[in-house]
Amino acid sequence: MSSLVTLLQIPGLLLVFGAAVVPFLPHKLRQAYMLAIIALSAYWCWGIDVGTHLSTNLAGLDLTLVRAEAITRPFALVFHIAAALNVIYAMHEKSRLTATSGLAYAGAAIAALFAGDFITLFIYWELTAFTSVFLILVSGTPRSFAAAMRYLLMQVSSGVILLAGAVLLWHGGQGLSIQAMQANTLAGGLVLLAFGIKAAFPFLNGWLQDAYPEASVTGTVMLSAFTTKLAIYMLALCFAGTEILIYIGAVMTLFPVFFAVIENDLRRVLAFSLNNQLGFMVVGVGIGTELALNGTVAHAFAHIIYKALLFMSMGAVLYRTGTAKASELGGLWKKMPLTMIFCIIGAVSISSFPLFSGFVTKSLTIGSVAKDGYFVIWMILIFASAGVLEHSGIKIPYFAFFGHDRKFEVKEAPLNMLIAMGIAAGLCIVIGVAPHLLYGLLPYDVKYDVWEAGHVLGEMQLLIFAILAFVFLMVRGWYPPEIDSTVLNTDWFLRRALPRTVNALSRPFLAAWASAVAQSKTAILAVLHTGEETSRKSGLVSGVASTGAAAAIFLAIFALLLLLRFVA
Amino acid sequence: MSEHHEKPEISPAARRFIIALCVLAAVLVALEFIIHRHAYFTTEGQPLFFAVYGFIAFIVVVAGGVGLRKLVMRDIDYYDQGERDE
Repeated sequence: MSSLVTLLQIPGLLLVFGAAVVPFLPHKLRQAYMLAIIALSAYWCWGIDVGTHLSTNLAGLDLTLVRAEAITRPFALVFHIAAALNVIYAMHEKSRLTATSGLAYAGAAIAALFAGDFITLFIYWELTAFTSVFLILVSGTPRSFAAAMRYLLMQVSSGVILLAGAVLLWHGGQGLSIQAMQANTLAGGLVLLAFGIKAAFPFLNGWLQDAYPEASVTGTVMLSAFTTKLAIYMLALCFAGTEILIYIGAVMTLFPVFFAVIENDLRRVLAFSLNNQLGFMVVGVGIGTELALNGTVAHAFAHIIYKALLFMSMGAVLYRTGTAKASELGGLWKKMPLTMIFCIIGAVSISSFPLFSGFVTKSLTIGSVAKDGYFVIWMILIFASAGVLEHSGIKIPYFAFFGHDRKFEVKEAPLNMLIAMGIAAGLCIVIGVAPHLLYGLLPYDVKYDVWEAGHVLGEMQLLIFAILAFVFLMVRGWYPPEIDSTVLNTDWFLRRALPRTVNALSRPFLAAWASAVAQSKTAILAVLHTGEETSRKSGLVSGVASTGAAAAIFLAIFALLLLLRFVA
Repeated sequence: MSEHHEKPEISPAARRFIIALCVLAAVLVALEFIIHRHAYFTTEGQPLFFAVYGFIAFIVVVAGGVGLRKLVMRDIDYYDQGERDE
């Protein structure tokens, strides 16, 4: 019993173990229970100060079960906010599987934040994969099943690579504790690769756009918060100031904006957008200064909320209309006005309009890049910001709520969804208007003045002229039409190139095998044929004459033996 | 980029939105000559840098997307077809 109490003191495990009860509770009690234990867990985590609080020794390994760093508190807080929003957003849903796995998934991610060593992290790292895969499986289609298996493959691989890195670290005498490390050693490189898979680095990103949009309406919202931001958190702990991350992050901000233009499934557009946002955070980690790390943490905090809000609004649209495809949507503002307003608040937040949350957080990262003199990277980030405005700021709300009126006869989103979206939208505005509330949670003092008039002016010019460009393209009829299509992404390598390559490479072996089988068959048939031939009535060993011949031979041997007996 | 679709009709509401946007843009241009923008880079310090770069970046993003379509756009059941083939 006492060991259970000890276990429940580990942040997050209250939710993981608490989830085990969830399937057995009636619907209303289940909602109250989940919100209650999330609140309890949040209160518990809030009280954990920087330092090591619980460690143990298991089979000669020093494990740090509970340890907090300066950036742990803001991440733990926003993970709890996301977990609570998820419960509210999914309250209409009867699925016990979604509720259970959603809660356990949030708990595993929170527990991982407090892990102090790589073995402990490995366990939670894999637990987030195994608990979250049900959010995709619950869709119940062959397509979602296949996507879920690919998701699991990538997530579990990340864990195995992390474990390999940990073993090498331990073997090299550097210990297992999670701390700043070099990326240019084999062990460090493996750890970076493991984080990079979950943070959706370029070419490792395919699983994100593949799997998230295949999850259920509520499942996608739950998925959007935890896994990738946990990876960002770990990157910040282990690889702050690693220069290569600046370039990796810049590429991440850049390539998804082009894909998002042509993707038709609006939830997949948001998955590309999520990838772009992670890029800004990775750049911040790569810069590694106090301002940059503040930027990464603040951005992750604000991003989890506005990204959840955007996924929630598109989830509500999907829930009511049965589709999230831009080519099939339009004109919903009349039917779902509140969802439209909340979506636009999410859209202007992510586009970083002044007075909304994205502005006060992304400015820190971009400011740190400018301060350190990375001109090209800075130009890329500003460019990518215009890209964010294009897909998340304009495309998402425009094609869902305006554009061609598809005359949907649908109701506004369910009340619980509206409440969840309302809270998220409120947080976007509160953070945007009163950024000091968020800045107070950051690891370092914020000395950056986001309200500097010239800075606000520059941002407004960027955004308004980018919107003018959109208007220009629309009025000229040059904006590309939405086409229901598959946009190839890096998951193509896993889904198409790899199977085809394996097929091609194995073809000579398969051909040789087939030929060997054919030849053996011929040889065996030949033997059988000879046997058959010789066993027929007139054959060598089965004919009437041959019985006499056999007897004669036998007699001859017998006579010879007798003769030898006498001679001897 | 333009050959396969005609100009959409502009509703009165959209027209009002566009006019408001143009007024706002004009105000932002005027403010450029009143408010000093602190610049880290020479390029950033050029007059109306953000307005020009924002406009161009948006067009390049969309044009880039259109170009990317030629490379990565496939039928909606591309992967399902693949599974049947094999």
